[in-house]
Amino acid sequence: MRENKLLLPIAISISAMILANHVFLSSASFFYLLLFALLSLLIFLTYKEYTAIALTSPSNESKHSAVESKLIHNVIFELQQFLHQEVNIIENELLRTNTLVNDAVVGISNSFKSLQTLNEEQQQMIKVLLSYSTNKDNDNGINLEKFASDSNNTLEDFVNTIINTSKQSLKTMNYTDDMIQQFDGIFQLLAQVEGIASQTNLLALNAAIEAARAGDAGRGFAVVANEVRALSVGSTELNEDIRNKINEAKDIIEKLRMSVEVMASADMTPTLEAKDKMSVMMEHVETANKKTNERVDELSAISPQIVEAVGLGIRSLQFEDLTRQSLESLQMNVSSIHSISDVLEGFNRDSNNDIQLQLMKLKEKCQQVYQETKEAEDSRSVKQLCMDEGDVDLF
Amino acid sequence: MTVYSKISEDGKQLTISIEERFDFSLHQQFRAAYHDNVTPDLTYILDLSKTDYMDSSALGMILLLKDHVQLHTGTLIIDKPNDTVNKILEIAQFHRLMTIT
Repeated sequence: MRENKLLLPIAISISAMILANHVFLSSASFFYLLLFALLSLLIFLTYKEYTAIALTSPSNESKHSAVESKLIHNVIFELQQFLHQEVNIIENELLRTNTLVNDAVVGISNSFKSLQTLNEEQQQMIKVLLSYSTNKDNDNGINLEKFASDSNNTLEDFVNTIINTSKQSLKTMNYTDDMIQQFDGIFQLLAQVEGIASQTNLLALNAAIEAARAGDAGRGFAVVANEVRALSVGSTELNEDIRNKINEAKDIIEKLRMSVEVMASADMTPTLEAKDKMSVMMEHVETANKKTNERVDELSAISPQIVEAVGLGIRSLQFEDLTRQSLESLQMNVSSIHSISDVLEGFNRDSNNDIQLQLMKLKEKCQQVYQETKEAEDSRSVKQLCMDEGDVDLF
Repeated sequence: MTVYSKISEDGKQLTISIEERFDFSLHQQFRAAYHDNVTPDLTYILDLSKTDYMDSSALGMILLLKDHVQLHTGTLIIDKPNDTVNKILEIAQFHRLMTIT
């Protein structure tokens, strides 16, 4: 604006000079005169313009400063409002996060502890199971393997008893057969005795005949002959009685033979089947025991892994400490922002104070807070680094 | 249900064969097949290849034969029992007492 005003007279004067040079070419002295006049006018105008500028400047500046101060106050007020609101929200969120993390950590910790307890109980159960399946001297009768083996032994004993009974019965039968052979011998002897009796009878008969022929003299002898005959008849009857008795004994022995046959003859087929079943059962028990032992072993191998996993989980819960440190640091940063905000609030309150002074105060505060935060952050970084190194051991 | 016995030509081997059922009814015949033979160091072969049934009395008879064989320092061999008969011999644990082929 100022330059335009200065340029206009110069342009006019130069134009007039060129025009005059054209019109009044013949008169050089007039041209110089005109040039001088124009330069003078130009100097005057320039001076006048400068004076005007010098006069208007101070009032302009003061008006300008008032407007800017008001704007600065408004902006600072808005800025303070904004900061206040944001900081409040951040503080609330920080509080909420802290609570959430705490609750979660308590919950997870309890859950891990309960898991640990349950695992211990499970391990106890596995130990009991193991003792049942491996303890061969268990007298409680729970051991299926022992039961099967006992049953097998019992079956073997039973078979042995049967065979021995058969053997002894047959031995008895052999003795009985030998005895029957003896009976046949007795019968032969009896036949001889019978022959003697019959001969005696015949002899007695002859004697009686001879006695009769002798007349009265032979009467006594006839009586003796009769008695001898009677004896032979009695002997024959006795022989018959003995034969009958022995035959009765033979009948009894036949009954004995039948009885012994029943005793000696046990059908082995059911025993055979029982033995087969026992073998199958033994095999089954063995397989089942083996598989049970394998599974129990696997189970007992899993338990320490669970303990380890739970331990790892519990150690991992240390993230709570780190998180809390982070949250505390955040809290500090927010407080810093708060202190700046407080200074900004002072701007609004003392709106009449010198803006420059207040700005200086703000600048100082900013520098102070910046330094504090920087130092805190540095020390925190060092601490964090230490923690990280420690974590390598823990995790 | 018959018992056959035969002495080998060299007189060192007595073979007793049992056909079909080997049970109590044979005990006299069975005993007769070996009882009177007192030759020492004789090999007794009990041929069970044609035996299809055996009860406990047969086991008893075999044990009595075993006693007789031991008494006369002989050897007892049970020859070719079928599966069923062999199983019964196994249950009786005769494999421990004598040779079964």
